Amino acid sequence: MIVKSSRKQRLQDPILLNTWKNRAHVIMALPAFLVLFLVMYVPMVGLILAFQKFSYSGSVFGGEWVGFENFKYLIQSKAIFQRATMNTIKYYVIFTALGTFLNVCLAIAIDQFMIKKMSKVMQTIMIVPVFISYAAVTFIVEAFMHGDHGLVNAVTNSNIQWYSGSARQYWPLILTLVKVWKDTGYGSVLYMSVLAGIDAELYEAAQIDGAGKWRQIIHITLPSLVPMITVMLLLSVGNIMHSDTGLFYQVTRDSGVLYATTQVIDSYVLHNVFKGTNWGYTAAASLFQSVVGLALMLFANWTVRKLHPEDALF
Amino acid sequence: MAKNNKDLMNSGRKQKFTVGQGILGLILVLFTIAVFLPIWIVFVGAFTNDAYITEHGFSLLPIGHFSSAGMSTVLNYGKKLATSYGITIFITVVGTFTGLFLMSMFAYSISRKNFRLSKFLSVYLLIPMLFNGGTLAGYIIFTKLYGLKDSLLLLIFPLSVTTMNVIILRTYIANSIPAELTEAARIDGANDYRTFFQIVLPLMKPSLAAVGFMMATAYWNDWQNALLFIDTDAKKPLQLLLIDIQKSIDFLLNSTNVPSSVLAAMGGSIPKYSCTMSTVVVVIGPIMVAYPFFQKYFVKGLTVGSVKG
Repeated sequence: MIVKSSRKQRLQDPILLNTWKNRAHVIMALPAFLVLFLVMYVPMVGLILAFQKFSYSGSVFGGEWVGFENFKYLIQSKAIFQRATMNTIKYYVIFTALGTFLNVCLAIAIDQFMIKKMSKVMQTIMIVPVFISYAAVTFIVEAFMHGDHGLVNAVTNSNIQWYSGSARQYWPLILTLVKVWKDTGYGSVLYMSVLAGIDAELYEAAQIDGAGKWRQIIHITLPSLVPMITVMLLLSVGNIMHSDTGLFYQVTRDSGVLYATTQVIDSYVLHNVFKGTNWGYTAAASLFQSVVGLALMLFANWTVRKLHPEDALF
Repeated sequence: MAKNNKDLMNSGRKQKFTVGQGILGLILVLFTIAVFLPIWIVFVGAFTNDAYITEHGFSLLPIGHFSSAGMSTVLNYGKKLATSYGITIFITVVGTFTGLFLMSMFAYSISRKNFRLSKFLSVYLLIPMLFNGGTLAGYIIFTKLYGLKDSLLLLIFPLSVTTMNVIILRTYIANSIPAELTEAARIDGANDYRTFFQIVLPLMKPSLAAVGFMMATAYWNDWQNALLFIDTDAKKPLQLLLIDIQKSIDFLLNSTNVPSSVLAAMGGSIPKYSCTMSTVVVVIGPIMVAYPFFQKYFVKGLTVGSVKG
């Protein structure tokens, strides 16, 4: 009864009156509202640089309007922008495919392992790397890859200068290993929480029916993970154009000779904020990245909504 | 859910330890070691005799070449390290608490069903996740329009309110704090502020701990904003210090701030490799110590965040 009358009241409440009645909520929402406005909304204005000829003197936004000239230039610059875009997509595919596979394997492995105390300790250790910043990871990678006193050269008894241009073909592998090392433990946590929710009776029933461990995994464990895997994959699609900036900018030490295999759009933009001479092109690259990201995110959410409405972001 | 988990564990215990379990255990142990090795190398490097590293490189077990010279040099003469530590602790504490405070109030407001503006506020919250200006636009607006170059505000506010964290908090309020409770408070005469601060906020503790730890990590590890905005040595946080010593440990330790008598005792030069690794240990240490205490919270928080309310 109470619920019904309040619902009726809500429908009749004009927006202004409702807002006045809830002024306490308006006041409580206001500080965060302002922070978002100043650090997220106002900076969007900065992207108008993408449509201006960059003026090297005078105010930043003083350049003349040139429409899509900056974009035309970007798309034609094969060596830089196309390469960065291709690298971004390539790394996204490798990281997502391998990452999902390993996260799921690890979650199942930990879930299946009998000695729970031991798996708890191991899991704790496996999660640690996600909390180490890329500025620090850079030193760890260097301890392994340094040409003169790195561990890899010492163990394999070779003399490869890993940070030089001649070793650039190894960097996709190096960066993938770093990524796997850093994120696998943490990434499996989400899947583990799904596994913890599986009804134990399902396993017992399967056991009574004579199903071995492998068949239990294939017929009970994996199917129960499929919804979560689908949702995580779809939501990650919205981030195709974004990468772990630290991984590509810090770990490679933003080294120009490695760009061919390591530069992604995010690190390209960051590099240009510091070193770039023409911010018009950089702004165009940022806008391209944001617009593609937006389109993919909307598409991904729309798809999740069709498949698992309760998991859609909005 | 917890009960099922327990049942699963019990049913697991009843089985005998098979060969399969042995292989599984072995694989898990190997993977754990592989994850641990890179961290181990940093700690070993920090406490290895520098001459040994120069000659033989980094190693896993440099038995007999222990030396605490690197660590003690860094701790005794790395004055900048102390300053940076102060800065990082300051932005981490202020940022995390400010952010939690602002976000929980916002999350509570948009979770109220009879508040008609909450729809608009939810969309307003969501848009920055879908579309944003990116690094360059932020850099231009913050430095040129706000004129905030070299300000600690730029290390605090950009990370303080994030869409995902507000969604986690809102979901927690919607799922775990019964509406009857706030309703009862209202009937008892508590106004909206009192209901939030005395009833809802204390009940949000688990989600606040989870989000708070994630935020603290983000603040502690943030290098990008520092690299973009901070120039003055006195304002550099730890991560920026790390980036500076990538070029040379001289940034932290040079012959002018290490007394010549100490320098002579170390063979005339600063032990650069062990000093560098010692700095890394000092920077990553606190999070590695704090994290096991928060583990149960962020596992819970992450699970909550994945389910939309």
